Amino acid sequence: MSTTTAYSLRRRLVWLLTSTVAAIWLLSVLVVYQRAHHEADELLDNQLTQVGETLLAIVAGGEVEHFVKELHEHARRYPVPIAFEIWHAEDGRTQRLVTSPGHAGFETTMAAGFSENPHQGERWRFYAVQDDDAEYRVVVGQAHAARERLAREIGLSLLLPAMLALPLMALAVWWVVSRALRPVDAVAQQVGALDAQALAPLDEAVPLPSEIVPLRTALNALIRRVAEAFDNERRFTADAAHELRTPLAALKVQAQVAMRAQADDSRQHALVQVIAGVDRMTHLVEQLLTLARVDPARQDIAPQSLDPAALIAEVCNEMRPQAQRQGQSLNVDAALGCTIAVAPAWLQIALRNLVDNALRYAGEGARIEVRLVPTASGCALSVADDGPGVVSELRTRLTARFVRGETEGEGCGLGLSIVARIAALSHARLKLDDGLPRADGGCGFAATLHFSHAPGRA
Amino acid sequence: MRILLVEDDRLLGDGLKAGLTQAGYAVDWLRDGETAVAALSTEAFAAVVLDLGLPKRDGLSVLQWLRGRHDATPVLILTARDQLEDKVRGLDLGADDYVLKPFDLDEIAARLRALVRRAHGRPEPVLTLGEIELNPAARTVTRAGEAVELTPREFDLLHLLLQNAERVLTRRALEEQLYTWNDAVDSNALEVHIHHLRRKLGGELIRTVRGVGYMASATPSA
Repeated sequence: MSTTTAYSLRRRLVWLLTSTVAAIWLLSVLVVYQRAHHEADELLDNQLTQVGETLLAIVAGGEVEHFVKELHEHARRYPVPIAFEIWHAEDGRTQRLVTSPGHAGFETTMAAGFSENPHQGERWRFYAVQDDDAEYRVVVGQAHAARERLAREIGLSLLLPAMLALPLMALAVWWVVSRALRPVDAVAQQVGALDAQALAPLDEAVPLPSEIVPLRTALNALIRRVAEAFDNERRFTADAAHELRTPLAALKVQAQVAMRAQADDSRQHALVQVIAGVDRMTHLVEQLLTLARVDPARQDIAPQSLDPAALIAEVCNEMRPQAQRQGQSLNVDAALGCTIAVAPAWLQIALRNLVDNALRYAGEGARIEVRLVPTASGCALSVADDGPGVVSELRTRLTARFVRGETEGEGCGLGLSIVARIAALSHARLKLDDGLPRADGGCGFAATLHFSHAPGRA
Repeated sequence: MRILLVEDDRLLGDGLKAGLTQAGYAVDWLRDGETAVAALSTEAFAAVVLDLGLPKRDGLSVLQWLRGRHDATPVLILTARDQLEDKVRGLDLGADDYVLKPFDLDEIAARLRALVRRAHGRPEPVLTLGEIELNPAARTVTRAGEAVELTPREFDLLHLLLQNAERVLTRRALEEQLYTWNDAVDSNALEVHIHHLRRKLGGELIRTVRGVGYMASATPSA
């Protein structure tokens, strides 16, 4: 199942899901951290304002002395994170009245309201306020670090459980993905268990997720096609064995008969049969080779735009002497001006096979007509005879390899297979019909190739 | 001995007919399954040489039909298909032997002799009656150890009589087994052959059963 280039869908899913969730988590932690920072700012600014206003109220109320004493007492017990200083203005002189315990005075003089200034080497936030007649002035400040610490703590309290949960979540994702992928494993096992010798489609009754069903359907279609091709090949091999061994057996037997014959005429007869056998084997081998040559993979034989009339006349002239020897008439009626897309070599082979079939099977004295007529969609090339004909039930099987009609004629049963293959290669349609009428009221046999117009000429 | 050859291939059928005739058989040759069934339903043959791929009626179907009517005529199948299942099916359907094409003419003749011998329930290849011995494979006959020259027809007639020793064979049965459809049979040809056999092998061997036929017997007639 795994090759060097294959990747695990499961690993990929787990990785993608886990990292996506982790990224979203991280993003939300960042947002929360920002919000926390903002909230902390607001909270602590409120605190600064409150402390400042309270201090101002206290000092303006004349409670300064008592307050300072209390403050120092208190500071020993609870360190206050807020520093302050109180200024008093009198007779145009301003003096620092009090600073919070543990603090020297602030380095800068600050305007009323919020400001940010350095203090003791750190960044601080200050709030300054004074009473209405500007007698007292209170400045409260807090290190910026306190705010960041607060925001960080809020952020961390969110991040930490997430960090701990991430491996757990990865495990959970792994488990869920494995479960979800189980049908894929099942199909893989079914495919793995397929027997190359007896290809059977996967059981379509086994329930599968709808995403995998198309895969199985496609696989089954492929399996059926392959099995059919396989069967065809097996049948072909069996048929070829029969078709090759029977003439070989005949040759051997006839040769043995010739060897043993006492009388000259029976030896002569057997030897004539041996030669006939060799001729038949030659024809069979030629046909087998032609069948193998009529191959869609052939690039060198390409269809071309062609007026087949001349080619038809040429093939028929070639075959006329044989027809005359058998007392048969071979007539050609080829209309000019039909243009079709076909490889001339294929057309020649197809026509030669059709005429050869007629010469072989139509019987002595038969009439054979080769016609080329224009049709609505292209043109039709037909070879018809007034021989014994072929019953319609058998006609459909005639294009199969090694299938012959039930006639006296001797052939190897490959001609129409070759023609059918050429028709498929040339996008033509092969039709097998009743042929010319016989004197006894019956009909001969006809094969017609329907070609479409060459592209651009239609 | 009369053999029915069913083979659709003209060249092979012609060769087999000629070859088996050379080997001393009377051969009738048919080219399709239907006429083979017709012939087998009306006439007796010593054995059938049957091709499997036949037009109109397949060889296996002919075989099935033959065994279906409890006809035990030995059948030798000729086939080009070497697939095991074909062979098993042929033998299951009642074929007695199986030969793969291409084959040797001598092999076919030998196998046919063995089939006919087995069909008559004799495991030994040589037929013996009294001081007469007949070897079907070598097509030789001896009388008290001395070789006797017989014509093919005389040999076949003696062969038939010895196969059915101590049983009366009718004239018609003998003629059916001896002559093919193509042989022009003279009305008293059989008597002539019997006469020659008696002259060569002694008068007591073959008895005439008046109005019925002939019988080969070791005990002289009363």
